[in-house]
Amino acid sequence: MEMDRESGKLEQIVSQFRSKILHVVLDSRVPSLHRHQQQDSLSLSRVRKTDKWFNLVLGDRPPALENLNFSLRNLLDPMVIDIILVRHASCSSSVDNLYSPSAAAAAAGPSTETVIERWVVQYDCPRVFASPSGADASVSYKKIYKKCILLLRSLYTQMRLLPAYRIFRQLSSLNQTYNFDIVYKVSSFSHPFSREEEDGMKEYSFAPVEALPGCLCVSVTYHATLSDFNLEPLVSLPPKIITDYVGSPTTDPMRSFPSSERGAHATSFPFRGLRPPSSAPFQRPHSWSSGFHRGIPPTKTQSLAGSPPVYRTSPKPYDITSPPTDLYGNRIQNHRVSILQQATAYDEYKLSPPFSPSASPSTPTYLSGANPLLTRHCSETAPVTIPLPPTGRSNRYLSPNSSDPSRHSLPPLSPRSSKHDTSSQESPSGIRSYRKIEALRAGESPSGLSNLYSAPKVVRDSKDDSGRFSGLLSSSGSPRIGFSRSSSRLSFQDDMDDCEFSCPFDVDDVDVSDSSSQNTENKRSSEFTAQSNLVGKKSQDAAVGILVHMLRTAPPLRQDSSCYSTRSLRAEYEGGVGIASGFFMPRKTADALEELNSYREMKDLLLSKSGTQVRKEGMK
Amino acid sequence: MNCEVCQLKELEVEHFEIREVLRCILHTIVFHRALGLVRPKDVDLELFEITYVQCGDVELEKKIDEKIDQFISWVEKHPNKKSQICLSFYEVKSKQPSWFTNKTERLYWEQWYVNLNVTQQPKQHSSKSHHTKVVVDPGESANEERSSRRAMVEASLREVLFQIIKFVNEKKDHVPPISEGVIYFPYEITMPRKFQ
Repeated sequence: MEMDRESGKLEQIVSQFRSKILHVVLDSRVPSLHRHQQQDSLSLSRVRKTDKWFNLVLGDRPPALENLNFSLRNLLDPMVIDIILVRHASCSSSVDNLYSPSAAAAAAGPSTETVIERWVVQYDCPRVFASPSGADASVSYKKIYKKCILLLRSLYTQMRLLPAYRIFRQLSSLNQTYNFDIVYKVSSFSHPFSREEEDGMKEYSFAPVEALPGCLCVSVTYHATLSDFNLEPLVSLPPKIITDYVGSPTTDPMRSFPSSERGAHATSFPFRGLRPPSSAPFQRPHSWSSGFHRGIPPTKTQSLAGSPPVYRTSPKPYDITSPPTDLYGNRIQNHRVSILQQATAYDEYKLSPPFSPSASPSTPTYLSGANPLLTRHCSETAPVTIPLPPTGRSNRYLSPNSSDPSRHSLPPLSPRSSKHDTSSQESPSGIRSYRKIEALRAGESPSGLSNLYSAPKVVRDSKDDSGRFSGLLSSSGSPRIGFSRSSSRLSFQDDMDDCEFSCPFDVDDVDVSDSSSQNTENKRSSEFTAQSNLVGKKSQDAAVGILVHMLRTAPPLRQDSSCYSTRSLRAEYEGGVGIASGFFMPRKTADALEELNSYREMKDLLLSKSGTQVRKEGMK
Repeated sequence: MNCEVCQLKELEVEHFEIREVLRCILHTIVFHRALGLVRPKDVDLELFEITYVQCGDVELEKKIDEKIDQFISWVEKHPNKKSQICLSFYEVKSKQPSWFTNKTERLYWEQWYVNLNVTQQPKQHSSKSHHTKVVVDPGESANEERSSRRAMVEASLREVLFQIIKFVNEKKDHVPPISEGVIYFPYEITMPRKFQ
């Protein structure tokens, strides 16, 4: 009974030893089996029962191995592992071959098979199993086990030093396909090599492990060099070809992007003049940025700009600086549909940091907002003409004194500025800014902005702000002509210049191109969400605008008798410039008085010449 | 217990190759002496087309890198000299306490000597070593010479690794029994200075 138990131990060691060697060899030579294990990265982290044998963690055993173990259960028979190089006849580099090398191989014609390595594992022992007994047995099994461990260590190392390992690594790389493949054959007998095959092959035998009554022998016969086999990559093209390359100038920039079932990836797009996302990652929530599709932390977004996919579990990249895969192209189609039609797919994605937490976009709003963001990105990067908004809308904004106070969070346009704006090519930006601010007003407006607009009456009546905004937000960056209309507005000019520098990028950020393809409401609310970040900047501009408006709508000088020393001046000012503000009163009064004096003198002079006496009014 | 000594074949390497070569050799040796449960880690060399195996222990990797740094700084102070790194494995035996000693004793059961001949390409005028090769004609010939030299070093390194495998296979009896929970045997990396 004890002998049975001891012999059982020995059998177990021998059996597991063979299985382990088979596992090591196949893992290091057969790419398909190796890939199977590589994908299961989580399983590699845990230690299985089979891993503990010989203290070598190799991961999951391939299913084929279990079958082989069963078929080779006679431990006294040798286990012969042939590593076979299958060379395909040269075939045309068709697209089909890229997708399926095996299909290409089948279609290519006869292939050549060559055994490049042969591993032989054998337990050499006499037929009669005579196991050691007593205390010596356990000691001997420990020694046997230790020596098996040592042998396996050296075998594992040697697998990586033999020539076949290099071609195994080539085949294992996913970026390339080759005109060859590696397969294996396990049997309990081996066909002897021909003389031709033996030429060029070397043999190495590992030191046998004494496992009384027999010994474990491992040997390998291998080709010393594989350079004679003409092993080369099939084609240099990537395996997948997209038919719908997003980066092409001819493609529709408004098209949305595919949803990723496994999570999205950092992407980059070869738009001309593409601004790297790292420059302003949180101000541009593009549909293709990682932030849009999933909640990648900001640092990752920056670092992964223009890089290949982030996650191995989602192998399909959005990076189209190198042409994406066909599957990627298909995904674009699907995603476009999902974006435009419904928002349920949105649940898969997390909001990106670019969107202000104060904004509360509804799901459809956000998704539909992706498109204007996308187009916004297009407009700011590619040299496209920014389309003018529909005339009707612009008229609505341009008309002064709109009857609907809620629609104007900013002062309405003045007649003069409206004329000017319609004639200028930069008015769309001003108008767009109005739309955005109105959108802000329509939804939640941050407290800062609402406070600004809480002085509604004064603000609303101002007619100059469109000119101001257009001046501020024009891409030219120079003050608008509206402010240079009169010399008295020079101080305004300085203020506007300052404001301009504080928000020079407002145009880019708020710029929305063609709205014809957008739903107006969605666009407005998306603008609202996009502009919630810009509230801080806008409030400053709005404050200046309000100030200007207040100054302009202040009661004229003629109505304020305290400003003038004599009542007679009122008549003089009636025909003068009606726009006066308390802010400028002291200066204007002095100038006006001077002017008046000079006119009086001229008049006296003329009258004196004509002999008419002038009745002087005491104004001094 | 006798101490098995293995003198590895001398390698002629350039200064910038020292780190990779030493990492490859030392880790390969330790992998064969890390008989506890290990998850092997394949590492590709950058300078040569060789993949070696680490036992995956972070602490061990750090210590080996430290020793390599020490070796490199020693080589920089003693240029153009043959140098050696010794990797020893020992057992800790507690000595019987006596008046004089109360310490544990190290019984070395294996020693590996890695022999390196660090050559230096003459960047300045002075060059004393006869191993250095002056590159007179830069261009293709220099590139060819460099690549052939690189191939030679790679072949030599491969030979050294095969030498390790052979030694490990042929001599197993002197290896102590594996302790439970211990991944690798206690080891020591030294730089003996008893050579020219």
